[in-house]
Amino acid sequence: MLKIDDLHVAVGPEDNRAEIIRGLTLEVPAGEVHAIMGPNGSGKSTLSYAVAGRDGYEATAGAVTLEGEDILGLDPNERAAKGLFLSFQHPMEIPGVQTMNFIRTAMNAQRKARGEDEISAADFIRLVREKAKLVGLDDAKLKRPFNVGFSGGEKKRMEMLQLAMFEPRFAIMDETDSGLDIDALKMVGEVVNALRGPDRGFLVITHYQRLLEYIRPDRVHVLAGGRIVKSGGASLAAELEKSGYEQFIEAA
Amino acid sequence: MTNASARPTPFAKAIETDYRNRSATNAMQSAAYDRYGRLGLPNRRVEGWKWSDFSAALRGDAPANDAAPVETIPPSPFATLEPLEIQIVDGRVLAPDAARLEGFEFGVIEPGAPDQDFDNHSLVALNIALTRRAFGFRVAGGAIIDRAVHIRHINKRPGYVFSQILGRAEEGSRVTIIETFEGCATFHSAMHHLSVYKGAEVSRYVLHDADADAVTHGFFGGMVGEDARFRQTSLSTGGRLCRHETHLLYPAAIGFSDVAGAALVAGDRHSDFTTQVRFRAPGGEARQLHKGVASKKGRNVFQGKFHVERAAQKTDAKMTANALLLSDGAEANHKPELEIYADDVECAHGSTVGALDDDALFYLRQRGLSEGEARALLIEAFAGEVIDGIDDAGVRDVFAARVAAWLEEQQ
Repeated sequence: MLKIDDLHVAVGPEDNRAEIIRGLTLEVPAGEVHAIMGPNGSGKSTLSYAVAGRDGYEATAGAVTLEGEDILGLDPNERAAKGLFLSFQHPMEIPGVQTMNFIRTAMNAQRKARGEDEISAADFIRLVREKAKLVGLDDAKLKRPFNVGFSGGEKKRMEMLQLAMFEPRFAIMDETDSGLDIDALKMVGEVVNALRGPDRGFLVITHYQRLLEYIRPDRVHVLAGGRIVKSGGASLAAELEKSGYEQFIEAA
Repeated sequence: MTNASARPTPFAKAIETDYRNRSATNAMQSAAYDRYGRLGLPNRRVEGWKWSDFSAALRGDAPANDAAPVETIPPSPFATLEPLEIQIVDGRVLAPDAARLEGFEFGVIEPGAPDQDFDNHSLVALNIALTRRAFGFRVAGGAIIDRAVHIRHINKRPGYVFSQILGRAEEGSRVTIIETFEGCATFHSAMHHLSVYKGAEVSRYVLHDADADAVTHGFFGGMVGEDARFRQTSLSTGGRLCRHETHLLYPAAIGFSDVAGAALVAGDRHSDFTTQVRFRAPGGEARQLHKGVASKKGRNVFQGKFHVERAAQKTDAKMTANALLLSDGAEANHKPELEIYADDVECAHGSTVGALDDDALFYLRQRGLSEGEARALLIEAFAGEVIDGIDDAGVRDVFAARVAAWLEEQQ
């Protein structure tokens, strides 16, 4: 489904670029959930930005395909319309932007790009209410400007709300667990598990094993020094929790 | 004039002719004319005019003399609010004779002068000297005027235009005044004086939506009386040189004002919002917010000043100016000033200038918005802080629609 082949990504100012992703290869087949674990600075967020198409995170070499289609040449919004969703590690506050209006505009922009009809106002309200309940955000929060005055946990709930609403084909979850309590982790697990299915894939980027107790991955990869240095089954996460990342930092 | 030795400009000649051809001038007007003669047009070397040089802007050719064919007046975007509409067309006041509004007296009156001392302001002097007839209104004490009053400044042909509005909102009255600037004059000097007496409340909304070539100087002088409340929201799309000044005086205790302005300037348009609040008595409160968006070679100016006199203890005044620059050639000039002689006051000002936030842009695009849509949403949000502050839902809708239309024009 999502295939990353020998990806290289350099970031930083023109005259001082640093290669952060250095020949990363990874494939997440449809229907699977893969986890990427790794120490700080291993390139986890750079990978998610590069796949989502952020300016300044362009690939210098390699390929990324979503269901066989090369996405590296696409704008971020085109990738989103193809069904790629990124749950941000640090979702920002956007003052002045009305939450409901924004989500609906985004949803319709994606639909339009796919040649689908817009969602009606009534259907949208119904959907947003239903999903807000699922992720534990009350109506008052939806009436606020986007994420303004939200706690870290509430911002993550807003990410999950959008994940649940957009039902993307492939979701990258960049340290969604950071700053979440047990109840919120459970909620994230519920949202993701409800969406799991044969046509959908997930890449869960995390530092710790605990989220993976709620989202059981099919494969776990260790990212260090900009490449995958080890892959294994779900049990690898538990092993890492015990032995730490030291060994990989040296290996990379 | 400052450049008396230089060859007179077409503007100077026209002003001279206009003044000499008058059948009658009173002492106030001739004194004002002399004052203007001494001061000349403000230029960049004069304090407060560094970024808005009217002398340079009016150096050009005289406007073509042939009157443009009479056009119909376009409908106003505020028409759906069914306001009492007053038109000032090329400086001539067209007040509807038949219209009546309980508690609101109005008509065409003799021009006047500000209550406050603006002796060093040459454009005020020029306006006093040359305005022929003024629009006057009086809101009777205790009158609550539910219907908005819309004063339209419509300039339909080239020329030098001088207009005046002289108003008073008497004790405990309440009124909403909408003022729009439309069309284009070679130069339009619009003066408005309003006294808001004890306990009265006035909301003033200014929509400056003139042509790209417009050169405008709007001057609003307000007296905020005891326990009076004055609110103003302005939206300007600028012009060749457009400056709107708001001067408020608090002669009595616990006055309140909230002055907000948004400017959206594209092309090589220029917008200048200059405000000054003078606190003369205790317990005054003032809020000011300015949001300027400039694209291409647009230029926004904001100059704000709180002047707190010794007697004005417990003054509470805050001023914020934020500028958004959408391209390398765009410009923002801010000059916030505090001049405080009282020792127990709370006065603050803040000023920021920046580009659109890359993090927010990427976020919106990741959710499916195109670059253009994401930028428009963020710009709308930036200006929205001013627009959302408008209490009157009907007026707010018109302002919001103008912002949305401006964003469309930029696509």
